[in-house]
Amino acid sequence: MGRRPDFLQGLIMDCQIFDFSCEFLVRLILNGLLIGSIYALMALGLTLIFSILGIVSFAHGVMYMIGGYVVYFILLTYGNLNPLLAILAAGIVTFIIGSIFERLFLQPMAKGKIERPVEYAILVTFGLAFFLEYTVIGIIGPFPKKAARFFDLPELEVGIVETTSATLRLADIPFPASRLTAGLIALILIIITIAFIYKTWTGRGLQAVSQDRQAAAVAGINPLNMNTLAFGLGNLLAGMSGAVLVTVFSWVPWVGTAAASKSFVIIVLGGMGSLPGALVGGLIIGVVESLGTGLFPDPNRALAYKDAYGLIIFALVLLIRPTGLFGREL
Amino acid sequence: MHRKILWALAITAVALLAGACTTPTPETIIEQVVVTEIVEVEGETTIVEVTAEPTGKCSPTDVAGLEEIKIGVTVPLSAPGSVTGGRAMQTAINIAVDEVNAGGGVLGLPVDVVFYDTSALPERGTAAMEYFATQECVVAVVGEYHSAAGVAMKEISNKYHIPTVFSETWNDTITGVGYPEVFRVAPTSSIVAEADANFIESLGAEFVVIMTESTDYGIPAAEATTEKLAERGIESETYQADLGTQDFASVIARIQEGPTPDVVLVLVTGETSYNFEQQAAEAGLMPTADTVCIANQVAANSNDYWTNVPDGNYCTFRQVGLVPSLANDVTKAFEAEYRKHFDTFPESYALEAYDSLRLMADAINRAGSVDADAIITALEATDIEGALGRLYFPYGSDNPVPDDMPDYMWHQWPDPAVLFLQYFEDGQSRDDAAVVYPETYWTHGGIVPFGATP
Repeated sequence: MGRRPDFLQGLIMDCQIFDFSCEFLVRLILNGLLIGSIYALMALGLTLIFSILGIVSFAHGVMYMIGGYVVYFILLTYGNLNPLLAILAAGIVTFIIGSIFERLFLQPMAKGKIERPVEYAILVTFGLAFFLEYTVIGIIGPFPKKAARFFDLPELEVGIVETTSATLRLADIPFPASRLTAGLIALILIIITIAFIYKTWTGRGLQAVSQDRQAAAVAGINPLNMNTLAFGLGNLLAGMSGAVLVTVFSWVPWVGTAAASKSFVIIVLGGMGSLPGALVGGLIIGVVESLGTGLFPDPNRALAYKDAYGLIIFALVLLIRPTGLFGREL
Repeated sequence: MHRKILWALAITAVALLAGACTTPTPETIIEQVVVTEIVEVEGETTIVEVTAEPTGKCSPTDVAGLEEIKIGVTVPLSAPGSVTGGRAMQTAINIAVDEVNAGGGVLGLPVDVVFYDTSALPERGTAAMEYFATQECVVAVVGEYHSAAGVAMKEISNKYHIPTVFSETWNDTITGVGYPEVFRVAPTSSIVAEADANFIESLGAEFVVIMTESTDYGIPAAEATTEKLAERGIESETYQADLGTQDFASVIARIQEGPTPDVVLVLVTGETSYNFEQQAAEAGLMPTADTVCIANQVAANSNDYWTNVPDGNYCTFRQVGLVPSLANDVTKAFEAEYRKHFDTFPESYALEAYDSLRLMADAINRAGSVDADAIITALEATDIEGALGRLYFPYGSDNPVPDDMPDYMWHQWPDPAVLFLQYFEDGQSRDDAAVVYPETYWTHGGIVPFGATP
């Protein structure tokens, strides 16, 4: 029994695939899964919005940005506050912003008062994105911020696991505590979201509206309220994605642009309106980007082509399955 | 289903457009209009070719009738540019303008500056110069942080014959092409690469990893550094990242998969460098007992640095220009004003921006005119004390660059001080950082070993 940790460590550290050590490949895959889980969380929000409202929110990246700033300023002001409460606060703030926006600007669309709803939705969500981004620049300024690590790991050494306050080493593969925490929180939020959608009455109501609005209305479910709830929830998930990453990346008002672009790719890859698709798509993109950067033959250009690796997979999947991996509604 | 496909196409288009926003530098095409005139003088016909002035330029050539002297200034104030650098430069320029105007202005008129945010993008640099020349009617241009914008701007400066002093752009070609209008107070990439290589050699390094940005600054800077290191028998490997990259985990893993570097040199600028430096520290790549960290020069902004790179203690970073212990009277006066805004000794780009505006104002005054040729002649004859030290341009139209000197010495200030500083305490102010190279300027006996106290 006592030999098992050495055996596992040896299995990882001594094996070689082509010119790469298994340790390196495992590290790339695990890093990809960690960041992919956060991509998935954000994409879940976007696909939820699309599934219920039938629109794609181009303000999704801004909600991600706002979530990060909420956590940063809360922890700056109340240093002793439990970071989980700050993350929850970020979700509440973005939920409220999203709900109010939906009521004011998107509900007329659902009520049939807008002549060209698709174009209207694009313009109005873009408008929200620009408005919020430049408001944040004006209030907070453009200088990069970063929240302190949420939790310090306890220092211990058990078999192949070794931890310092800032880093966990798994068979000598380093995982920063901030990134690990972000990935785990994202995973928990994904589980909660899926449980909410599939196991609660309200979640089933959302499913009903996404399948057939009129039938849901006949069954006593108010589609307009579900629209507001879905948009708010979608923004909540984006806000919480940002909230967990503000300890990992430097935060600037335009930080959401790249994240939003990735979410768009993921929801199309996974299948528009599919929750499992968003989850799997996010993980795939995360792993593919990580492996691509790590294994691309030219180390000089490997990172510069990072976004292309995911887009190549995206294009290949759409060629084979034009509706995406799962391609069905919520 | 039809609607979904439409949405999918729309999203794909947006994603591709967003990706296309990071495409390489577009080539600037300059048209020169050559006008052929047939001149008849007493029965003889002479054909004269004259290069016509580009249409639209409105810069004044005579001070009569002017109410102010307008100078254009370009700085990065938004991503993917270095906002930290841009804000510092903007503040420095404003301090210089206040000082000049308090001293009576230029040619008896107040100086008015027009700022333009180039965002480190060449197309915005081009647009800025076009705007300055055709709409704001500026007399001269100063500033710019990013070479990507500067390389494009110099072409338009030449096109419209606008005297331009670049503050912080390092690409060799900016002065290397020898345009009469273009001057520079920042060091060139080659000068900095030489300094980097000398510092790295002094550390006894044998293998260096260079993390650079895929821009008109980063690529040639990395190439120049690689060449200088190779001359000293030091191996190196370069990794490129786009400005704005956030996640460096995979490339850090790749670096750690290979041989442990003795030095990691960060040529990525601005906020992107913070992401790399912090993630590298978290992963145990640098700084460590085995690997020296040379962070990007924005590490000099200690408030932003410690907020974004909390694990970056023992990193060194480059400082162009003087440090507090070497400050002259001009530096000290500027520092006093600068500290009202940022509570820190001015960074190199702030010093350069400040001096750029002052020397342009000085040149216009000595020219006694707003005519471009007169200003250029006066710039070439510059010899003033600046915050950076004595400012002068040894090579110009009266004294061309000799064959044994590099082309970039044309209109290039030859004495930029390139120092290396090091933080050795968490949260340390840049003012208290150790000067670790060159030896002449040591403040704490050389580089502080990782984990040690000087």
